[in-house]
Amino acid sequence: MTAVAVLEEPRLDRMQRDRMTRLHKAMSDRGVGALVLLGNSNVSYATGTSWPLADQGRANVERPVAVVTAEDENPYLFTPLPELLDPDLDLPEDHVHGPVYLEFDEGAESFVRALVELVPGDRGIAIDELPGSMRRALQRVLPAVTPVSADDVIDPAKIIKTPDELGFLRRTLEITERAIAPVQAALAPGEHQTELTAQFLRAAFELGADSNILDSIWQVMPARLSDAPWTTHGGIACPLITTERILREGDVLWVDTSVSCRGFASDFGRTWIVGTEPTARQQDQFRTWREMMDAVLSVTRAGATGADLTRAARAIGRSDRRPWMEHFYLAHGLGVDAAEAPLIGTDLGDSYDERQVLAAGMVLVLEPLVWDDGAGGYRAEEVIAVTDDGYLSLTDYPYDPYVD
Amino acid sequence: MSTEVLADDQALRVARRRRVLDAMEVDDLDALLLGREANARYVAGAQRLWTAGTRPFGPGCVLVRATGGIHLVSTWDEGIPEDIPHNHLFGITWNPGNLLAWLKGIEGLEGARRVGTDSLTPRFAQWLAKILPSAELVDAEPALQGARRIKTPEELGAIRSSIGVAQDALAAARSEIAPGVSERHLAAVFMEAMARRGVTTPATQRVAWISSATHRHHQHATSAAGDEDLVAIDAGVVAAGYTGEVGRTWPASPASAGSAIKDLYLQAEELWSRLLGACRPGASCRELLSAYATAGHAPPPFPIANGLGLGFDTPVVTGQLPSTAEHERLDPGMVLALTAYVVGEDGRAVFRKEAVHVAASGPEVLTSAPCWEG
Repeated sequence: MTAVAVLEEPRLDRMQRDRMTRLHKAMSDRGVGALVLLGNSNVSYATGTSWPLADQGRANVERPVAVVTAEDENPYLFTPLPELLDPDLDLPEDHVHGPVYLEFDEGAESFVRALVELVPGDRGIAIDELPGSMRRALQRVLPAVTPVSADDVIDPAKIIKTPDELGFLRRTLEITERAIAPVQAALAPGEHQTELTAQFLRAAFELGADSNILDSIWQVMPARLSDAPWTTHGGIACPLITTERILREGDVLWVDTSVSCRGFASDFGRTWIVGTEPTARQQDQFRTWREMMDAVLSVTRAGATGADLTRAARAIGRSDRRPWMEHFYLAHGLGVDAAEAPLIGTDLGDSYDERQVLAAGMVLVLEPLVWDDGAGGYRAEEVIAVTDDGYLSLTDYPYDPYVD
Repeated sequence: MSTEVLADDQALRVARRRRVLDAMEVDDLDALLLGREANARYVAGAQRLWTAGTRPFGPGCVLVRATGGIHLVSTWDEGIPEDIPHNHLFGITWNPGNLLAWLKGIEGLEGARRVGTDSLTPRFAQWLAKILPSAELVDAEPALQGARRIKTPEELGAIRSSIGVAQDALAAARSEIAPGVSERHLAAVFMEAMARRGVTTPATQRVAWISSATHRHHQHATSAAGDEDLVAIDAGVVAAGYTGEVGRTWPASPASAGSAIKDLYLQAEELWSRLLGACRPGASCRELLSAYATAGHAPPPFPIANGLGLGFDTPVVTGQLPSTAEHERLDPGMVLALTAYVVGEDGRAVFRKEAVHVAASGPEVLTSAPCWEG
């Protein structure tokens, strides 16, 4: 049995010690001497640092970089923002370095030379991204080394959450839900979509979010697919980008938002109706969705496969199409990324889902949907942690205006 | 911003694609496989969903030089320019096999000799070598950076619009500065004001920071600014893909600002004048670093200059890249975010960031937000 707990008072230092133990084991399993991480969320995972995330075009240039070595119990961090280091993180001072600019040959070369100092010899290097400048620098300084994928090290470490991680994750989910509740309460005809974002971001940052990580979605759903944009699969186009579109009474909104706090991403998904109550047919859509969610939850436990979940959803679905966004998934993990492993119900196919076995401590965002062509549809997301005998809900946001 | 999801304007698209195709010819690139959204947008002119932070590399946009064809990963056609037909779109996929099969089927890609990518991962390096066995995989970033560094007139217009939004949101945050204010509150006010102007995507989310003579280390985002503290705002937004940035610093309590603070502002003003003076067409970027040295200040860990466009463009000038700065030249048509940053002996700092267009006749300052003048 693996007890799954969500700590009320999670601790950053303990969380990082647990993460380092996992990373070191995964490194040892794969003969990796040094793990070099460039991706924002990977750096956050390995070091416990978090910072307000920039637009991708800026983030590629001004990025913290992490190095984990097989021998050292602490990671090394190269950062332009040392002042943002959380004081709860007991990273030794000699492990914190100034910024490296890996997008440039000069920066990449000085970083690889620093790396050689940290990891002498030609120990195996695993890395998550290889910009051209890094490929050239590695070729020059370490011509005998062919870096392998860091995903094989970091993905297995990330997939099971510790009680501290679940505690931080739940705080981020709480911030998101507390920020969005007043947006829903004030929802009225005549508002622009962008005004909903304005209210949500204001509240989320006041409540402690470090970053918005997804341009918030308040998509007005059409009644029928023939009125929606063309898609490659003939199904629903979603998420479509927010504009200054004015909301009208009766508009059905599919809402999807995500913010981060202390390195943890949230996910929120609900269906709202502008200025009015659901019709009987809309309420019926919700009822079907509820039945489907309950069916999926009833088979969710450690040992179940991804395919058990997709079968449970499909058994309730009304149409031939899979009852979730066809270009996404029925379920995805959540942690340092807004969508991470496990991914269930993707185009990796049924046999892939059969091989995905749920384990205690995994976090899933379940997002089935009901489409009722002619009258739109219902979609919402539930965030749960898998346990030995079932699951724990990490959220309890209501389904208004639908009656649960 | 409009009430519809629009692709980039045709004039913008045509001029940018011309530059990329020319750069491909110069670098002898037969095709581009692009994973970075800024590069993909530069080439395709499509508006796709914004997410914050870096993303793992995956080729989501392809340009074949021989056909001029642009192929995109997008499940729908909303926000996609009309010159990219439906059969050039491929739905979002989680299956590398499906992605590689799509790439393999793209007209003109299989016979390409030199294929450029804007980044790679160890896995994609192997996979791409497998599906394009006769191609040499090369770094396309130099070609793309070369194309992007000089702005077209339409791009300059887009950056001006973005700066307008950044300055409005900056003003909203500024109006909240007072003793007791927190960094968190200023970020919240900034984000709200930006979105009320119709732009929902920030360029940076570290909006505000407080520097203090009494707390040398960074305080928590909830800490209240003291009377003697300085409050910096780094206002950056992304509107229609283009980044607009401006930065200012105010005393938490202007009435309590003593001579040390006033002197710091004078030093920042002097440094700024030197930086602007160094911003001449044909000048070496080394001169920007020299401006700091001449004024007697160490450059900060963040860039003192960076190109503005779809994110950060070249040149990026920082104290960590002196040799790069030495070899980089300012050319007419560049737009830079130029930063003067002065730290006093007590740890308080004045931060000032302006957007500057390097025009043939000299620098043109695009930002106009008022500075605190003591």
